[in-house]
Amino acid sequence: MQDKEERMSAALVRIFENVLLTEELSLSQGYFSDLSIAEMHTLTAIGPYEAKTMTNTAAILGITTGTLTVAIDRLVKKGYVERRRDDKDRRVVRISLTRNGKLACRMHGKFHKVLAKRILEAYDSSEQDMLLTLVEDIDKYMASSVTKYEDKNNTESIRKTAAAVAKDKRRRKEDG
Amino acid sequence: MDDGSDSKRREKIMDDIVKLLTESLDISPVDLKASTNLVEDLAIDSMQLYEFVIDLEESYNIRLPDELLEQIVTIDDIVNLVMKLTSE
Repeated sequence: MQDKEERMSAALVRIFENVLLTEELSLSQGYFSDLSIAEMHTLTAIGPYEAKTMTNTAAILGITTGTLTVAIDRLVKKGYVERRRDDKDRRVVRISLTRNGKLACRMHGKFHKVLAKRILEAYDSSEQDMLLTLVEDIDKYMASSVTKYEDKNNTESIRKTAAAVAKDKRRRKEDG
Repeated sequence: MDDGSDSKRREKIMDDIVKLLTESLDISPVDLKASTNLVEDLAIDSMQLYEFVIDLEESYNIRLPDELLEQIVTIDDIVNLVMKLTSE
């Protein structure tokens, strides 16, 4: 049992680190190398279709609107996002993706789909169903663990730490 | 809607698609037929496909998520999809 727990624990950590690392590497070597992973996830949270409010997008990302404002400033400057006032309520600012932002968002979505496809295609249909059930169970368990520990004041810094782990891992790999 | 206006709509959609594809792929319109296969005949890559799809979405005010794009093989498939989405 001890051995199984260790293998499970090591695999979970590695999956987490390597998914982030693969995302970062694919980004830095692709068409959108001027975007960080965090910026790409911001584009994904806005989505390619209707304009979103800042509050809504910040909630999806689990960050404050203050942090989002800084990120959006940068993405506007880079030409991926545009801001405009709501037609009905001028106090509300809506953000949406430019053509380039939509392209980046859709290419990144494709990256995630291809990753999942490559993992699934090694198995037959019933094995895939079994794998998905197990992975979804782990996902549910981890989501409930987050809720248990979640403290509204420090969730954001923990998410930042998660991103830093991936960066650190990449640096270590580059250093050999 | 009668058959006559349906075929006119189809023709207009086909013209728009040919225009968008020739612009984004820098190819001649004569190379494009209803049966043209996007991947095998035009060697279109993901980036070019999404550029075309985003322009098409904006032109027709429709949504073409990946789930729908997976069904597309030929130009005729795109015409049929746009016909369906714009008549809903």
